[in-house]
Amino acid sequence: MIELIPHIVNGLTLGLLFALIALGFTLIVGVMEVINLAHGALFALGAYLAMTTIGGDWFGSSEFGVWWRELPLSTRYALGVVAGPLLAASVGMVLELCLRPTYGKPPLYGLLLTFGAALVIEELIRLIWGTGEQSLAVPRALNGAFFMGGLIFSTYKFFAAGFAIVAIGLVWLFLERTPYGATIKAGAHDSEMVRALGYDLSKLRLLVFGFGAALAALAGVVMAPIWGLRPHIGIDVIIPAFLIIVIGGVGSFWGAVLAALLVGLSVGITGAYAPAWSMLSMYLLLIAIVGFRSRGLLGRKSALEN
Amino acid sequence: MSSSKFTRRGMLRSAAAVGGLAAFYGPWKHNRAYAQATDKPIRLGLTSDASGQYANSGASDRRGMLMAVAEANAAGGVLGRKIETVHLDTETTAATGSRVAERMITREECGFLVGAVSSGVANAISQVAQRYGVIYMNTNSSSPTESGENCHRVKFVWDGNGANFSKAAIKNSIDAYGGDFMLLTNDYVWGHDTARATRVLIDQYGGSVSDEILVPQGTRDFTAALLKIQQAKPNVVAAAVGGDDQIALRQQVAQLGMGDKIAWINNQQDWPDIYGLPADNLFGVFGTTWYYKLDLPGVKEFVGRYQAMYPETSMRVPGNVFYNGYMATKNLLEAIERAGTTNNIAVIKQLEGHVMSAESRMQHHDAVVDPNTHQVQQSIYLATGNPAPTEDDDLFKILTSSAPEDVRDQDSLGSCKLESYDDTPTFDA
Repeated sequence: MIELIPHIVNGLTLGLLFALIALGFTLIVGVMEVINLAHGALFALGAYLAMTTIGGDWFGSSEFGVWWRELPLSTRYALGVVAGPLLAASVGMVLELCLRPTYGKPPLYGLLLTFGAALVIEELIRLIWGTGEQSLAVPRALNGAFFMGGLIFSTYKFFAAGFAIVAIGLVWLFLERTPYGATIKAGAHDSEMVRALGYDLSKLRLLVFGFGAALAALAGVVMAPIWGLRPHIGIDVIIPAFLIIVIGGVGSFWGAVLAALLVGLSVGITGAYAPAWSMLSMYLLLIAIVGFRSRGLLGRKSALEN
Repeated sequence: MSSSKFTRRGMLRSAAAVGGLAAFYGPWKHNRAYAQATDKPIRLGLTSDASGQYANSGASDRRGMLMAVAEANAAGGVLGRKIETVHLDTETTAATGSRVAERMITREECGFLVGAVSSGVANAISQVAQRYGVIYMNTNSSSPTESGENCHRVKFVWDGNGANFSKAAIKNSIDAYGGDFMLLTNDYVWGHDTARATRVLIDQYGGSVSDEILVPQGTRDFTAALLKIQQAKPNVVAAAVGGDDQIALRQQVAQLGMGDKIAWINNQQDWPDIYGLPADNLFGVFGTTWYYKLDLPGVKEFVGRYQAMYPETSMRVPGNVFYNGYMATKNLLEAIERAGTTNNIAVIKQLEGHVMSAESRMQHHDAVVDPNTHQVQQSIYLATGNPAPTEDDDLFKILTSSAPEDVRDQDSLGSCKLESYDDTPTFDA
């Protein structure tokens, strides 16, 4: 039993990271009913942008560039964590502008457009940063390991899990405790009424898409030191993110967090005791939950179920 | 007025006769010849991955093939004919590999196929190639089954395989660290075959395997496996994890500082998988077939030609994957020239048993295309991360160089059953 504890701890940290990955995806699906297949590409883009900011490659060998590279890594890392998501958010907003003609049409249009955008972003990454493996530098204080119960754990992974908790908390506060959050939720619930009350729905959608893209990019920045950084890394993100929002219930914030923790636990524990099943376990979890409760763990009840 | 009439019976007879002739002379039948014109370019189908787990290695593989083709064309072509290439993405997926091979042969009229990194993809391509008799150069997939139970008369394997690399590494590890092994295995054909070969060698040298962790392809978080390894405390971990999975594994082992706490054998280490990673990601010992800093004649010039042809490539020096792609293509074109024809059987006979000098291979020992398994028996190098690099790209420190006969994969000799020449469709490309 004691041997199981480190694997439960690992599963929970993994779950928190999955929650961070799914956060932007669930926001866009929940509010805009658009399955954003470019989520993974924005995840990768954010990580690349942060890497370039941290390395100071933007500024070349200019005086400012030299000064920048002399800054402590922790300062540049903190700026990279902010700059990557902000720049990716602006790309997300451009994508939302492109999506506008698809609103009100069958969902396939939005799917195809975001799929195309994912391919374009991935190719742009290849053109700008090359096809090879890159690494995102993290401050020395985060990059070591520590002993717990005679086992070595990664400091960075725990930092990333803590970061995920803070990010989840801040997003929740934003949605629940600010007027902007209230407007976003109202827009998701009844967009016609929100428009009738005089709110600019176009601006709202632009904000939500930008916010979702920034969250995707933030997840990329946090995950890159664990998963590595390559142009197609976004492919690794889309399936878990999609799975988590379906298990949690489409549009449910806490449903997504709960589902991510369950997925993390199932992958972490099967990874230790039946590792060949570790990837499959998340799909089995999906079948088990959706089989018994088609709207997911905390999904809203459909009108058809009444 | 003519007395001839179209009757239904006559029409049916004619249709049956035409159908029979078409079946007999059709493109899928033996002895087909669809490119007799000697001025027609020779078409090579490049079956390398441009997406999926081995996208990066696939690009490097392709660059190697293209440099060999460019050099051949600059020298006047082969048999006076220009070489043309067609590339389709095999997507690191076996099913796509089959489709690509089928299309390359039937629609693109490629007379030869070159390229692979994933063993699953290589196996799928070679099954299609054998059906049509099209020579296939498996450049970079290193599962022992490729020259063992999945060998084919048309397929030639240019990379060292898992058994070759394990053989070079395991005895040294048992002597140095002890005999308790744990296997960390990618859950697909190459991983399983390499692990099987590793087990046999561990038994042979008096060690034992305490556990095997199967890692599904696409795994990005190895913490569970790494915790389990720590709990089990083996003497040596023999990892057969490839592509992007291996990159993630390396980063996570480096983060935990486990690289020097446990003895690791990483089987083969493909250059594109580690290029650009921090130095502490290169832990343990691993195998390779070639390194750009080998102190041998021709190596510097080869690196110079690479840099001249690919000045924009972020990978500034060629690695083993590029090298295998180049060597396979170059030797295929030379075999056609020696055969004096593009007839597939004649070219196959030129390749079988062909001896390549150490100088031409830029390796320490002569190499030979084994006529029984079609695998190139070549020098195998054991390497580790370079603690004192002379330049940024000098990532490896070469520890040993083994002669082909010392690391020969004996199992494949028993399990490979090549199709007969008569059972292989013949044609001129």
